[in-house]
Amino acid sequence: MIFSIKRSFAIFQKDYKDVSKNLYVTVSVLMPLALAALWGMDGIDNINIHYMLFNMTLCMVAAYVQCCLIAEEKEKNTLRGLMLSPASTMDILVGKSLLSFIATFIILVACAFLQDYKPENLLVISLAMALSTIFYIGLGTVLGLVTKSVMEASVIILPFIGFFSFGSFLTVLAESFPILKVTEYLPNLQLIEIANKVHSGASLSDVWFNLAVIFASIVVIFAIAIVVFRKRMMD
Amino acid sequence: MSILEIKDLEKHDEHTIVFPSFSLEVSESEVVAIHTSTNARTSLLKLFMGEIPISNGEILVNKKNVKLSKRDFFFEVGFFCLDDELYERLSVKDNYSFFQKLYGSELSIDEVLRIVQLETKRNVRISKLSNSEKRRALFGRLLIQNPALFVFEEPDQNIDLETKRVFLKMVRELKQKGKAVLVLTSNMESALSITDQVYRLDDIGLHALDVRSEDETSNEETTGSQEEVLAQENEEEIIIQPVRFEKIPTKVNDKIVLFDPPEIDYIESSEGQSNIYIKGEMYPSVFTMTELENRLHPYGFFRCHRSYIVNLQKVREVVTWTRNSFTLVLGDAKKSSIPLSKTKMAELKTMLGLK
Repeated sequence: MIFSIKRSFAIFQKDYKDVSKNLYVTVSVLMPLALAALWGMDGIDNINIHYMLFNMTLCMVAAYVQCCLIAEEKEKNTLRGLMLSPASTMDILVGKSLLSFIATFIILVACAFLQDYKPENLLVISLAMALSTIFYIGLGTVLGLVTKSVMEASVIILPFIGFFSFGSFLTVLAESFPILKVTEYLPNLQLIEIANKVHSGASLSDVWFNLAVIFASIVVIFAIAIVVFRKRMMD
Repeated sequence: MSILEIKDLEKHDEHTIVFPSFSLEVSESEVVAIHTSTNARTSLLKLFMGEIPISNGEILVNKKNVKLSKRDFFFEVGFFCLDDELYERLSVKDNYSFFQKLYGSELSIDEVLRIVQLETKRNVRISKLSNSEKRRALFGRLLIQNPALFVFEEPDQNIDLETKRVFLKMVRELKQKGKAVLVLTSNMESALSITDQVYRLDDIGLHALDVRSEDETSNEETTGSQEEVLAQENEEEIIIQPVRFEKIPTKVNDKIVLFDPPEIDYIESSEGQSNIYIKGEMYPSVFTMTELENRLHPYGFFRCHRSYIVNLQKVREVVTWTRNSFTLVLGDAKKSSIPLSKTKMAELKTMLGLK
């Protein structure tokens, strides 16, 4: 598979123009910002609350934008046009992910700023955020591939937003149901754990395990994405 | 050199045959239309796009096989499908500049806009265009892609006259540039208006339709004139009748139905069978086209095409597509349109008393 930066960039540019005119998506992307501004005014200084919003941002921006981009291409039959073009699957996915990645990055920074959140170790947090973003983009890709239209995509994303943003409540449940201990390895909870560790002064070497767990979930979600993609192409 | 080669391709769906094994070659500067049912058309397109695997036979474009390398194959083929769409929120120009980058094309956007006649709409969003304009915008995408083989699915379905004219002109230009064009349609009239090389694909197989450009036919007529003279003599002997019989017999379910000539809208020949069309219904005739032409000539019938005889009383419009292609539109409920060959145009003009 040959990867072409030029073609990926063309897809990125096209999607950027398209999304900027798509009220549907832009409104949901700006929602975390509104929430951040609201909480920022109250002056909350609780890592868990901050990260609930960050996780929500990741889900609503990274996963949702990616999901919508793919679902819309499918709905409008333009994905077939792309598949029949010289652009490889890699070009298409990279081009699309690039837009979600940049959008997520901007919104996350803006949210942190509005909430007045300053991490003690910027490097570790940015790394964790970047890895999480890639995971959520993978999630969005999978959801985009299984849905058929933007409408479906916006509905299917809701449980995921709930699950990943309010994931911190799972730890409370896990105390009464030991089986839920597994959920501790979810990337959203790992992100919160990293944030808490960093808050108490941990460095990169202390959180490498958590980063590795997020990385592992990236591998899993992209493996699922590839399987789903292959299956869809057969239909 | 042939660009498209289809070798012994066949398709079965469970127990039914969608189309039996057939072979077809399309070379440079050739425009071929396949007249076929929707079923066979979708199957054929899916085989082309590699969406369903080819079990028997192969499709080669410039020696590249879809089974071996999809990327190389799609580099050579451009598809227009009926359900294709463009990016609705982007303007025509933005869409084209995207495709230009995607395909690494050298063709300028202005040139494409000129060919598809969307110059005034260049900054209009696709969603604001009419259906026909969207179709033209899609044709433009194919021009940007600039493949060796163009495949069109029902290119002139549901579009206005302007778009049809643009399409015919575009196909002619592609032909001049040495491209191969394959048109899949279920409308015989549209197939004939695009090209002279028409095939019919159905559950019996692929048959070339007997459509020849007029130059060829005139040559053949001179060589075959002797036979025709003989044939005509025989006919005259048979058709000596005591009372002049003015009805045209047709066969419907082993019954013979007689029609007054003025009732007939037009007659179409397909696979050696002449079919008479009356108020949108088709009746197979027992006569050949030549016999019908001779019989009906006194009633104002006119052989406007090798495969068509038309009742001139019913003709409402003569539409000129280009300098060389014309269509007769009838005044019946369906507004049927019938191709008119260019050499017959002059004859028709004298009949109508035009210069």
